[in-house]
Amino acid sequence: MAGDLTSILVIVLIILAISLAFAIGANDETLSSLVGAGVLKFKVALLIGGIAVGAGMFSFSFSFVAKTVGADLLGEGLTYTTIMLLTVLISSIIWLVIGSFAGIPLSSTHSLIGSIVGVVIVYSFLQGGVNPETAFNWVKLGNVVLSWFISPVFGLIITFILFKIFAKTYLSKLKGLNQIENSEKNFKWLLLITVIFAEIWVGANSGEALGILYGLLDNGSLNMGQYIFYAFICGIASCIGIYFAARYVIRNLASQMIDSRPSEGLIIQLSTALILMVATLLSLPISHSHVIVFCIVGMGLAQKKEVDYKGLGKMGIYWVLTFPIAAALAGFIYFGFNLFGLT
Amino acid sequence: MKEISEKELKKLNIDELTHLFVDNINEQNLKLIEGIEFLVEEDFDNFTQNLNYVIETNTEVRIKKAFESKIFKSKLMFSKADRLKLFNKINDIKNIGEYSANKMLLYRVVFPDEEFKLQILNILKSLKLISNQLTNAIKFIGSDLTKAHDICENVKDERRRMRKEEWELLNRLYNYDMDYLSRTFLYLKELIEGVMMLADHIKSFSEYIQFIAIKYLIFD
Repeated sequence: MAGDLTSILVIVLIILAISLAFAIGANDETLSSLVGAGVLKFKVALLIGGIAVGAGMFSFSFSFVAKTVGADLLGEGLTYTTIMLLTVLISSIIWLVIGSFAGIPLSSTHSLIGSIVGVVIVYSFLQGGVNPETAFNWVKLGNVVLSWFISPVFGLIITFILFKIFAKTYLSKLKGLNQIENSEKNFKWLLLITVIFAEIWVGANSGEALGILYGLLDNGSLNMGQYIFYAFICGIASCIGIYFAARYVIRNLASQMIDSRPSEGLIIQLSTALILMVATLLSLPISHSHVIVFCIVGMGLAQKKEVDYKGLGKMGIYWVLTFPIAAALAGFIYFGFNLFGLT
Repeated sequence: MKEISEKELKKLNIDELTHLFVDNINEQNLKLIEGIEFLVEEDFDNFTQNLNYVIETNTEVRIKKAFESKIFKSKLMFSKADRLKLFNKINDIKNIGEYSANKMLLYRVVFPDEEFKLQILNILKSLKLISNQLTNAIKFIGSDLTKAHDICENVKDERRRMRKEEWELLNRLYNYDMDYLSRTFLYLKELIEGVMMLADHIKSFSEYIQFIAIKYLIFD
C-alpha cells in the first residue's frame, strides 16, 4: 500500500517537474530583443530559442545546478523523501501563484531553494537522529545564497563596463542616423548568436525542474536511464513552453522594443549569458530575471538615464522576503503531511 | 523643380525620398515668400501666380506615397517611428504654407508705408533663411547629427529675432492714426501671423531634430 502511494507520488512529481520545465519556457522573455529587432521571423525565432533552452536544460542535467538542487544542498547521508520533494514543489508553486496574483515579481529559484530549506529544517526536527546543524551542506547553501546577491551586481557592473568600452571605441564614432542604422543592422546577427548563447544558459541554469528529478534519482526512485529520459522530456517541454506559451509575452515585450537598438540588447544579453554561464559552471542556481533587471539598470546608468530606484527597492524587498516566506510555507506544509503520517 | 517619374521614385531609398520631399517643400516655401515680396511691391500678377503655384503643386503627394510604402515594408529600422514623424512634420510645412497662401489670395492689400514694407521684407528674409537652414539640417540627419543639431540652434536664434520684429510690426500696425480700412488691418495682421506661424513650425521642427540628435548620438 505504502509502495503504491510512493509510486503514485513519484509519477505526480515527474509530471509536475515536466510542467515546471514547460512553465520555465513559457515565462522566458529572452527572445524579445531578437523579435523586437526583427532579426528573424517570429515562429523561427521561437523555434530556435526553444531548441536552445531545451538543449541547455538537457545538456547540463547530469550535474551542475540540477545536482545542487537535487542533492548537494543536503548534509552528508541525507536524501530527499518523495514527500519532501512534493512539499518543495507545492510550496514553490503556491508562493509563485500568490506573487502572480499580487503582481509581485518573484524568483522561482529563490522560492524553490527557500522551500527546500524549510522542508529540511522541519524534517530534521521531526525525524530522530538528524541534527539540524548537519542537515545542510552549509558551504553549498551559503554559496548559493551569496550568488543571489553577487550575480545581479556583477550583471550590472559587466553591462556598465561593456557599454562604456563599446561606446568609447565604437558607438560614439557613429555620426549620422544612416551610419547608426547600418551599424545596428550588422549587430542583428551578433544579437542572434548572443540570444542563442543566452538561451542555452537560461536552460542550463533552470534547476527547478531537473533538481526535483535529480532528487528522485538521488533517493533511488529513478534510475539513470529513467532520469536521462525524463530530463530529455523536460528539455522538450521547455522548448514547447517557449513555442506555444511564451509567444504572447515575447510579442508583447518585442512590440515595446521596436525603437530599441540591437547593440544595447546585445550587451544586456551577453552580460546576462556570461553571468548565467559562470553560475551554472559553478553549480549555482540563480535568478535569471534578477540578473537581467540589473543588467538593464547597468545599461541605464552607463547611458546616464534615470533609474527607478523606488521600483528597484520594492523588488529588492520581495526578493529578500521570498526565501523566508517560501521556507516557512514549505515547513508548514511538510508539518501538515507529517500529521497524516506522510514523511 | 524637375518632375520625377514613378519608376525613379521607386528606386530611391528612405533617406533620398526625405531629401527630395524637403527640397520640394522648401521650393514651395520660397515661392510663397517670393510671392509675398511681390505683394509688398504691389506686383499682384506675380503674387497671384506664385501663391497659386504653392496651392496647386502636388508633386509632394507622390513622394509621400512612395515614402509611406517604403517605410511600412522596411525591416530593422529602430528609427522608423522618428523618420515617419520627421516626414510628417515636413508635410505640415506644406499644409501651413498652403493655408496661408489661400488666405492671402482673398484680398489685394496696399501697404501703409515704406517702413512697414521694409520690416515685412526683413521678416521674409529671415523666414527664407530659416527655411533653407531647416532643409540643410534635415539633410544632415543621415550623415551628421551634430551638424544638424547646430544648424537647428541657428534656426532658433533667427526665429527669436523674428519674434522681436513681429511685435514691432504689430505695434506699428495698431498705432496707425489714419482712418484705416478694417479689411486692410485684418489682412496685414493675419499676414504677419501667417508668416510667424510658419516660422514657429520651423522652430518646433528644429527642436524635434535636436531631440533626435540627442536620442541617437552616443557620447563617450
